[in-house]
Amino acid sequence: MKVIAVAISCLLALSAVSADTCFSDVSMDCSQASNSLVFSGLPSCNAIYGHFSRQGNVASELQAYANLHLRRSYEYLLSAAYYNNYQTNRMGFSKLFTKLSDDTWDKTIELIKHITKRGGTMDFARRSTQETITAAKNSTIELQELESLAHALDTQKEIAERAFFIHQEATRNNHKTHDPEIAQYLEEEFIEDQAETIRKLAGHTSDLKQFIVQNDGNDLSIGLYLFDEYLQKTV
Amino acid sequence: MKILSLAFFLAVCSAAYATQCNVDPVNVPKQWITMSRGCRDSVRKQIQMEVSASIQYLAMGAHFSRDSINRPGFANLFFEASKEERQHAMKLIEYMLMRGELTNNLTSLINVRAPERKTWSSGQEALEDALKMETEVTKAIRTVIVNCEHDRSAAAGQDDNDYHLVDYLTGEFLEEQYKGQRDLAGKATTLKKMMDRHSALGEFIFDKKLLGIDI
Repeated sequence: MKVIAVAISCLLALSAVSADTCFSDVSMDCSQASNSLVFSGLPSCNAIYGHFSRQGNVASELQAYANLHLRRSYEYLLSAAYYNNYQTNRMGFSKLFTKLSDDTWDKTIELIKHITKRGGTMDFARRSTQETITAAKNSTIELQELESLAHALDTQKEIAERAFFIHQEATRNNHKTHDPEIAQYLEEEFIEDQAETIRKLAGHTSDLKQFIVQNDGNDLSIGLYLFDEYLQKTV
Repeated sequence: MKILSLAFFLAVCSAAYATQCNVDPVNVPKQWITMSRGCRDSVRKQIQMEVSASIQYLAMGAHFSRDSINRPGFANLFFEASKEERQHAMKLIEYMLMRGELTNNLTSLINVRAPERKTWSSGQEALEDALKMETEVTKAIRTVIVNCEHDRSAAAGQDDNDYHLVDYLTGEFLEEQYKGQRDLAGKATTLKKMMDRHSALGEFIFDKKLLGIDI
């Protein structure tokens, strides 16, 4: 009986070596009398499946995506601070940026968790291939009201378009990196909300533009005040 | 294209028609703004330190979330700690705004840099590392207190004691630091005892305990 069992496990071990499965790792090491398990570490026993972390750029783009969220989150926090100082004193704008900061912060942690869920590791130095180096440098936090909304709109679009890019890499049109789990995760957790946020910000800039343009610009100071009050109540 | 249009937008709004898009800045009396420079600079530095700590905790959360590490309790603990550090930075910012600060030089206030450390050999090591980090933060807060209680760079005759900020840092921040340190030290001790003879089991059980699961 014992002999047969050993023979079977040996056979299994041999036949499965090339298969690279967790089971083959386990049965190969467990069939040996010595403590080979200590050294082997069962390399195939991990959460990685599909192409994730193996082929293509979905895993590394997700790392970069988490970093983008982290960076934007602290940028929005600074904008929120700027609009809360006594000279600008626009609490509504401050609230708007605080919300953007909180949301992108939560997404940062979400993304890190999801990367590790799929067997990946987080690399905080990773940048996307989509990123332009110049864009990040010459940005200042201290913008006027409409400018700040414009900047928020642009950066939110960048975040949304990055999701599109990763999604595209993960869809079946791309055989090398096809990953439906990542595609649906992006759709459910990011893409839907992003459309909402972008539409809202675009609406804000459109309203604010009206206040500036119409009535020969005489509505400007009261318009900005009222719009800030409106943001305080609705954000 | 995007950069071009942004540049165009900036040019339109800030240069040619400066008054078209914004209300000119107004001046109100400034005598009420009394934070001294040395004190202000110290708080600014402290804000950056809290941000860096938040990112370091993120890296710890990421490490313990990995499939080969699989310690969701530890990961949770560190992600929560990360959120707390961010909250501390926000509280300090809030305070400075109350005192009339942060009207300029906002952009350089926070720098997001990759964390220094990325892996830990065990939960025990991470807890001790966290405790070390908190001790450093506490020390830094004490330095801010010293600088705000007696600002050496203040002009002669200027009242250089920022009583209120010193009280706020002492009462709120140090209190939280000491409680946090005690909590981490207690956890590190318990875990170390559990690891004494049954390290794999000890860490597993401790992790589930952190998750609130009794096994």
